[in-house]
Amino acid sequence: MSTVAEASRPKPRWTYYLTNYGIVWLTVALVAALAATTPNFVSADNLRNILDQQSIVLIVAVFVTMLLISGNFDISIGAIYTLVPLVALRIFDVSDSVILLVGVGIVVGIAAGSVNGIIVTKGRINSFVATLATALVFFGIAYLVTGGTILRLSDLDVRSLVTTRVLGLTTATWIAILVVIIAWLLLERTRFGRYIFAIGGNREAARLAGVPVDRVIFIVFVLVGAAAGLAGIMNMARTLTAQASDDFSLVFTVIAAVVVGGTSIMGGFGAIWRTVIGVLFIAFLGNGFNLNGIDPVIQRIIEGLVILAAVGLDAWTRSRRE
Amino acid sequence: MTTSPPAVEFRRVSKSFGATVALHDVSLTVAAGEVHALVGENGAGKSTLGTVLAGIVPPDAGEVLLSGRSESLGSPRQALAAGVTMIAQELSLVPGLSVADNVFLGIEPHRGPWVRRREIRKAFDALVSSSGIEVPAEAQVGNLRIGDQQKVEILRALARDARVIVMDEPTARLSGNETATLVETVRALAARGTTIIFVSHFLDEVLDVADSVTIMRDAAIVRSGPARDETRSKLIEGMTGRPLDAMFPARQLPRRDAPKVLEVRGLTRKGTFENIDITVHQGEIVVLSGLVGSGRSEVLQAIYGSAPATSGTMTLAGAAYRPKSVRDALRAGLALIPESRKDLGLVLERSVADNVTLPYLRDVERSGLISLRREGAVARDRMTTVGVKAASPRIEVATLSGGNQQKVLFARSLVRTPVLLLADEPTRGVDVGAKRSIYDLITELAAEGMGVLVVSSEIEEVMGLAHRILVMHQGRLVSEFEAQNADEASVIAAAFGPVGART
Repeated sequence: MSTVAEASRPKPRWTYYLTNYGIVWLTVALVAALAATTPNFVSADNLRNILDQQSIVLIVAVFVTMLLISGNFDISIGAIYTLVPLVALRIFDVSDSVILLVGVGIVVGIAAGSVNGIIVTKGRINSFVATLATALVFFGIAYLVTGGTILRLSDLDVRSLVTTRVLGLTTATWIAILVVIIAWLLLERTRFGRYIFAIGGNREAARLAGVPVDRVIFIVFVLVGAAAGLAGIMNMARTLTAQASDDFSLVFTVIAAVVVGGTSIMGGFGAIWRTVIGVLFIAFLGNGFNLNGIDPVIQRIIEGLVILAAVGLDAWTRSRRE
Repeated sequence: MTTSPPAVEFRRVSKSFGATVALHDVSLTVAAGEVHALVGENGAGKSTLGTVLAGIVPPDAGEVLLSGRSESLGSPRQALAAGVTMIAQELSLVPGLSVADNVFLGIEPHRGPWVRRREIRKAFDALVSSSGIEVPAEAQVGNLRIGDQQKVEILRALARDARVIVMDEPTARLSGNETATLVETVRALAARGTTIIFVSHFLDEVLDVADSVTIMRDAAIVRSGPARDETRSKLIEGMTGRPLDAMFPARQLPRRDAPKVLEVRGLTRKGTFENIDITVHQGEIVVLSGLVGSGRSEVLQAIYGSAPATSGTMTLAGAAYRPKSVRDALRAGLALIPESRKDLGLVLERSVADNVTLPYLRDVERSGLISLRREGAVARDRMTTVGVKAASPRIEVATLSGGNQQKVLFARSLVRTPVLLLADEPTRGVDVGAKRSIYDLITELAAEGMGVLVVSSEIEEVMGLAHRILVMHQGRLVSEFEAQNADEASVIAAAFGPVGART
């Protein structure tokens, strides 16, 4: 019918593409600048290393993206990431099974995510506060598990889980690519993903449309926990050690990447590809600094300012889009 | 009034947004101290005219004179300095602050950095006594009803010496009682010399409150004159530019022996509604009428499973029906058009297709994944059925007009043909043209055999649409009318409670 064909707004202009995909252009510009100025930047080894290093961040970040879109937050990912390999190592010490090592890791991650999910959905506690509290609990348990010592992995073969080269890329990179594809499919092409957007965009409307709001939020927390657990195991496999700490840095790295990509911390808007770009943008930036021998202290400051600029630009262009 | 210059005069004002002409060569005078209503369909330009006056939108051409002086109204601040302010549909109050603090926000009497609370209080009391608008000074704004919050906005405007106040759809979110109070307040303000520009869809209120009415259509003024010369139907004809045959399609009553779709017996939720009996037959449009707060929406929610009843029985198409959740209701073949499309209905920043298929994604899946092709086809098909005007199913719902957004909800409800359609205020905030097409749609769906249960606060809608009218009062059903024997006065009377009833 003619009614549907009738236009209600003009075709998007070039400014739309400029503003809606701002982070893409920034990343392209950054890569071009680095390629022009930094001799070793565009080399197979360097790019391969960047991907390998970012695999852990990517795996966690894509699920945190879902969580932010649903209008929730998870501060405890760093704690799960720390705790999981410790528990898994303890099991490995008595079982000596690599499958069990990975399996237990993911199961502990799922358990931790379930705790978060239950507290947020059944307890009706704001997810930021709830996961801040569980983060402290998980960090504490980590100290209990280790008694404060560094745990070492006796079986050096475990390292090959993440470092084996397949088609030029490490297995860690391949795992990350697989996880990103799964996350993308989940978010963009399944009922579950649509529900996440609906909940983050308008929770009450989602409920009245029959969306099982609590169940969806619970599952997203579980996925985030499983991803943090998997990431923790991969990190341990790479370093062959694990120790208790109060290290929140993974949270900052992950959230910075998600937000730089353009996913809204207010919920309802975001995408997996945005997070992939966000992770790469920050990684390229850091890599460029390293190759040019810039003082790590200065790096941090510049990184902070660049993140602010990227997010500020995004907010500005989006407000102009209205 | 005859000698003083007009409070506001627009001279040949034009404004375009991109390719869309919002105002074309508009000239209009508004006398000081009058309530001047602007009416028109969505997109007719009435809101734009208000925003130009309030300095929110600069005109492309033409000028605005205030009390005979040409003013440059480049920003809301400049407009305010010139004595004009606008009260938008979405109120802009700070919910955590008290009424008095909100009224004087940004213009607090102070000594150095210290706010002088006693001065604020004194100024507030003076304002209340000079305007006659009563709101408790210390109440927290977030705890007030919308109607009272609006009074706070008005006080805020007066505290800034506004002589002209533009009110954009002030009654859209008010209940009947609150609307009556607002109309009084506005009349009192005008009597004290404040000029009010009253932009509204609600024609009864316009005729109630306004001294003059300006009708706009297609970015231009159709006519401007005293409100006493206008009637509802003349206004509608002016706004739509078509002769008004009837606002409503012809009634097509269901067959006498039509089977029951829904039978509700003794439905109760303590403290909300009690002992409700409702029967809806195939092809029947039953309208649940009554005052806002009488429990109508809650009954609908109970039938829809989103806020289940505590006791009572329901039968749907002959089978026992006991919904514990929305999913139960959807599975049983119900659909709901919720009361407020923005708060309860749509996910605004998602696409039309997303919103249409949200409850029924299973229907467009292929081996666990959503098929965008199938989804697009389903969305496009239902959009055509209900007449959603949108460039594509993939554009954001937020970019559509109110009427089209409402139709998106109808498109959703028809993804699976429901046996019973529940519609809570199905035409709230949509323009006259869209209203008519929604009435056509409801009538058509009923004619095809669907049962329809509507909640409505608009008496014309109740009278024009219903086959049968049920009236609720304080959580109970108090009267039932067959459409043929119903008259407006008795339906309204019933809504206010049985004569001689205890309160």
